[in-house]
Amino acid sequence: MVRVSTTGPDAAAPRAGYRSLADQLRAWPDDRLTRLLSARLDLATPAPHDSGQLASRAATRSSILRALDQLTRTELAVLDAVVVAGHATRATLPSILHASTDNVDAALVTLLDRALVWESAAGLRPVTGAGEAMVAGSAAGTSGLRPCSAEPMAASEIEAHVSQLSPQAEAMLRHVLDSGGEATSGTARTTVSPDRARTPAEELIARRLLQPRGDGSLVLPGEVGLVLRGGRTTSEPVDAVPEVATSARDAALVDRTGAGAAFEFVRRVEQLADAWAVRPPSCLRNGGLGVRELRAAAGELGVEERYAALVVEVAAEASLLAVGQTVDGEPVWLPTDELDRWVAKEPAQRWLVLARAWWGSNRLPGLVGSRDTAGKTWNALVPELAGVHQVSTRGLVLSELAGLPAGQVLATGTGLPGLVERVAFLRPRRPRTRDDMVAWAVAEAADLGVTGLGGLTTYGRLLVDGDDAAAVLAALAALLPDPVDHVLVQADLTAVAPGPLESSLARRLATVAAVESRGGATVYRFTPASVRRALDLGWTAIEVHDFLAEVSRTPVPQPLTYLVDDTARTFGSIRVGHAEAFLRADDETALAELLHHPGASSLGLRRLAPTVLISTLPLDMLLPRLRALGAAPVVEGPDGTVQVARPDRLRARTPRAQRSGGARAARDAASVAAVVVAVRSGDAAAASRPAAAPELSPSGSLAALREAMDARAAVVIGYVDNHGGRSERLVEPVSLDGGRLVARDRRSDDVREFAVHRITSVRRA
Amino acid sequence: MSDGPLIVQSDKTLLLEIDHEQAAACRKAIAPFAELERSPEHIHTYRLTPLGLWNARAAGHDAEQVVDTLLEFSRYAVPHSLLVDVAETMARYGRLRLEKHPTHGLVLASNDRPVLEEVLRAKKVAGMLGERIDPDTVVVHASERGNLKQALLKIGWPAEDYAGYVDGEAHPIDLDESEWSLRDYQREAAESFWHGGSGVVVLPCGAGKTLVGAAAMAHARATTLILVTNTVSARQWKDELVRRTSLTEDEIGEYSGAVKEVRPVTIATYQVLTTKRKGVYSHLELLDARDWGLIVYDEVHLLPAPIFRMTANLQARRRIGLTATLVREDGREGDVFSLIGPKRYDAPWKDIESQGWIAPADCVEVRVTLPDDERLVYATAESDERYRLASCTHRKVDVVKSLCERHSGEPTLVIGQYLDQLDELAAALDAPVIKGETTVKERQRLFDAFRSGEIDRLVVSKVANFSIDLPSAQVAIQVSGSFGSRQEEAQRLGRLLRPGDPGPDGMRKVARFYTVVSRDTVDAEFAQNRQRFLAEQGYAYRIIDAEDVLTG
Repeated sequence: MVRVSTTGPDAAAPRAGYRSLADQLRAWPDDRLTRLLSARLDLATPAPHDSGQLASRAATRSSILRALDQLTRTELAVLDAVVVAGHATRATLPSILHASTDNVDAALVTLLDRALVWESAAGLRPVTGAGEAMVAGSAAGTSGLRPCSAEPMAASEIEAHVSQLSPQAEAMLRHVLDSGGEATSGTARTTVSPDRARTPAEELIARRLLQPRGDGSLVLPGEVGLVLRGGRTTSEPVDAVPEVATSARDAALVDRTGAGAAFEFVRRVEQLADAWAVRPPSCLRNGGLGVRELRAAAGELGVEERYAALVVEVAAEASLLAVGQTVDGEPVWLPTDELDRWVAKEPAQRWLVLARAWWGSNRLPGLVGSRDTAGKTWNALVPELAGVHQVSTRGLVLSELAGLPAGQVLATGTGLPGLVERVAFLRPRRPRTRDDMVAWAVAEAADLGVTGLGGLTTYGRLLVDGDDAAAVLAALAALLPDPVDHVLVQADLTAVAPGPLESSLARRLATVAAVESRGGATVYRFTPASVRRALDLGWTAIEVHDFLAEVSRTPVPQPLTYLVDDTARTFGSIRVGHAEAFLRADDETALAELLHHPGASSLGLRRLAPTVLISTLPLDMLLPRLRALGAAPVVEGPDGTVQVARPDRLRARTPRAQRSGGARAARDAASVAAVVVAVRSGDAAAASRPAAAPELSPSGSLAALREAMDARAAVVIGYVDNHGGRSERLVEPVSLDGGRLVARDRRSDDVREFAVHRITSVRRA
Repeated sequence: MSDGPLIVQSDKTLLLEIDHEQAAACRKAIAPFAELERSPEHIHTYRLTPLGLWNARAAGHDAEQVVDTLLEFSRYAVPHSLLVDVAETMARYGRLRLEKHPTHGLVLASNDRPVLEEVLRAKKVAGMLGERIDPDTVVVHASERGNLKQALLKIGWPAEDYAGYVDGEAHPIDLDESEWSLRDYQREAAESFWHGGSGVVVLPCGAGKTLVGAAAMAHARATTLILVTNTVSARQWKDELVRRTSLTEDEIGEYSGAVKEVRPVTIATYQVLTTKRKGVYSHLELLDARDWGLIVYDEVHLLPAPIFRMTANLQARRRIGLTATLVREDGREGDVFSLIGPKRYDAPWKDIESQGWIAPADCVEVRVTLPDDERLVYATAESDERYRLASCTHRKVDVVKSLCERHSGEPTLVIGQYLDQLDELAAALDAPVIKGETTVKERQRLFDAFRSGEIDRLVVSKVANFSIDLPSAQVAIQVSGSFGSRQEEAQRLGRLLRPGDPGPDGMRKVARFYTVVSRDTVDAEFAQNRQRFLAEQGYAYRIIDAEDVLTG
């Protein structure tokens, strides 16, 4: 179906040029079309019918604005030059730009690829509307020149005119040039000869350096501006990439520092989730987290509020936190059940989950605590706290950091402003908050440990480059401290874990002792309250002793042993097994008492050993009866551990899974490919359209459809869709019944139903 | 991954693993800027505080050194924010300077005008500053030197003091080291004090702080005012100075309730200085009686509030504070640092013990169970009566008796808070009792008898908590105290730590320190709190039940 262009797709040196942008698109090979649609995704949705529609869509203002947003300052300046010059060629374009030829050529290739410039027979042409869409100002990459007139004066003639100007007139001319190239004629006469000009304005008009337009305004034509600027569109170079100040740092130190921050971040997310599972903060009506709750979270984590905001935002983005409900139905922020899976992973994997969530997130935690335009404080986690440019700005920042020479990192203090400048060069059209966004991206990357000391870490680079999970994990895991399986218990009733504890061990220890200090190491303190808590959760004194003896690398000090025994002294000891049939207790008399209790006959109790009874009742019946008899049983698991009625940790549902970067890319690629096919098919439809087929009457339409059905031939129908949009479809009719046409649509290659009353025309294909 | 002995926590504590081979080097490196907070047996905890970092700056260390030290010894990555914080904190020191101006006297000067402007607007320093000489200099009222320094410290812009010290009236003092010599740590302590100008020396009880004072005097070679807690202690100072230095009895004056002598070296008690007559401190002129070159504060942790205020006016004189336990239950450690000076020397008790300069101690907590009738009284008592009821239980007398029998022949002190209880114990043990009402003469007599071994049991109230030198004491039994006071506990243990001569079997004495507490009462809770300081110094308390003591 793809029509081969006779003009040839050789974009590198088109001899003849095209009649229109649509013509050029039609002539492009598929891979080039694919490139265009990938770079300007908005063109592909919904799929255009043919190259003509694609070309017209590419020229819509909103699409052009989007495309311009993705250009660097050099590219914008080249586009501007194309607009100004009107009919520049590849050969002449570099001469009017204050930039090197190579940079101009590279920029031009980008512009052609993005269909912002196309090659007409007369030279390079901007896509219609590109000129108007560009804002003035050298920061935005434009020169402020007007397009050249259709029949420009020769440069030598202009120079002659300028040289004859009075000083006032020349000053006025330059002023008009620098302020946008437009002026109003006011009282100046627009039809005078140079000799009769009385004012500088009339002088300029007379010499055609300012040209009147019908509405009383004057325009300084592009060719005059070019002459005044010495033949170039700008007086400053447009391809000067701002320098980023760097300082030397050992790469290993960068990695270590980054890994330290990464480990801290993971630890703090876990700590926050643990805290919120027990005491969830309420969810504001606007969906956010209150200022006080954030401050409390910061206090809990021992960090600044800025950092705490990042922690909650990233955790929410990674689906580890979500809005759930308390028992009373109050909306609160809770850890999700995803958190439980997350906690069970290795630290490096946990970090990867967070880092990926951050990497793809459009959230703006940096705004939290500041005030919006209405003077309201931004809350963390509110849905509005997101920015469309955040992801791409972050990407730019990190790719710039990745581009720093090996062993160099962003210089403290001076590095950031340079980086802001660099990003401003790469995306000049971004909003004014960009400076903040760059600073946030740098700060967040440091907090997450993607960077260390201002330089990208090796694993951070892998994350940014390709999101190759295995490689990132391998690089990071080697840097994280190895988990330790012991603590040092001291006589002042503290225990120090000289490194990150294994997860299960840490949880068990946190039951018996209170955490006093966190970081690379953890300091625990044993208090009567903490030991009692363990006993409350079903530990026995023996188990606490065994546990301490097992985890302590040094002898357990006597005061701690005493503390445990003293706390356990007042604690009860009957326990019931979950295997439904056994009761055991260290206290023989308690069992004997139970066995001989008058109310116990229906329990079917039997003594197995002095300290063990079994029962024939299932556990759910046995338990209430035992309690009715006054016993206080504790349930034991099949593996001998105590099953504990721990305080309920609430969980919210995990939000719908988000697609990974890879999946998203694959989906985009697939849809782009589908659109390419659709466009080609549309082109085929147009090509197979007879030049001027007569439109058929409604009855004639039905006839034509039936005829086509019989002949198994394709027809082109005009069809008005649900939204009132009119389109032409190339279809093979299959059946016609009850006001409905069933036909195979060539474009989408599937069988569809069409309402006959909406078919406006039928033509034989 | 480096394998250093130090773990830097994000809450600014530093954990030092002392069994590590680099531990000693690391401790030496971090000591100038980190405060030792706890020193139990395996891992010592240091803390980075602004005060500590500023003291390090004052001693000539810069932020880069601190950061390098942390990076060098740290086992894991050092939190970046902490390093930034260290640099920022240290950069605040010295933006303001106290200087001597040739015409205006004492001035506050700065090169950083915004800082000076901020400080001038602070409420806390209002009234301490005079007119502004030029944009960068302000006159300071001479009497406010100390207060200003303290206030500036509180608002976070500590001033560097270039105004220097007065030399004072010269007076020759030399150590007389013919029969003894200064221990290494004493020499180090005296020297680091002298180089720092003013400051606090922290050494365990019994480690010879008096000699550090004497060494400091020998450095100063000027008239000296020594402030001590009580008269008995004043006499001990005098004896020690006569014995250890070139000073003679005639050169040393005592200024106390009984005697009022002002001599080149004068020893005054806190009490007499703070005595008010008709609403004024009538003995304050002592501070100006001579042009003192050095002021020694003994037991600086007890410095009463009026002396704080007076000290603020003495900033031009060199000051040395001596203490074993720089913990104040009123939390005014910061005032001690800013008015006397930063901590110049600190040694963990266990270090001195391992060098053999103080006796090892065996700390035991004996828990008695209240009899049922007392339990009932206790349970229904008002909360302010509870501690007294719990700590004065009759059961304790039996336990004390049985402990005394077990250690019969060994010099034993029984220490308590409540006089009724002390009398009861004295009667039960047939031992003399020293309390507040006992005359100084009688006290001296009893202490001398105890030292010479004439009597081996002594029941004492809190008057014997401090500064009483009883080298022969081997056993102390405390039955009650001032609630949860950590320093009282440490000071009481300190009575036992003078290393006596080795016994006939060549074994050095091991001090026995018993605390008798009532189980499940506030007494036990307070005991827990009291023990914290010593536990953090590495003393392990054993806990035993009274029944085990009674049954032997």
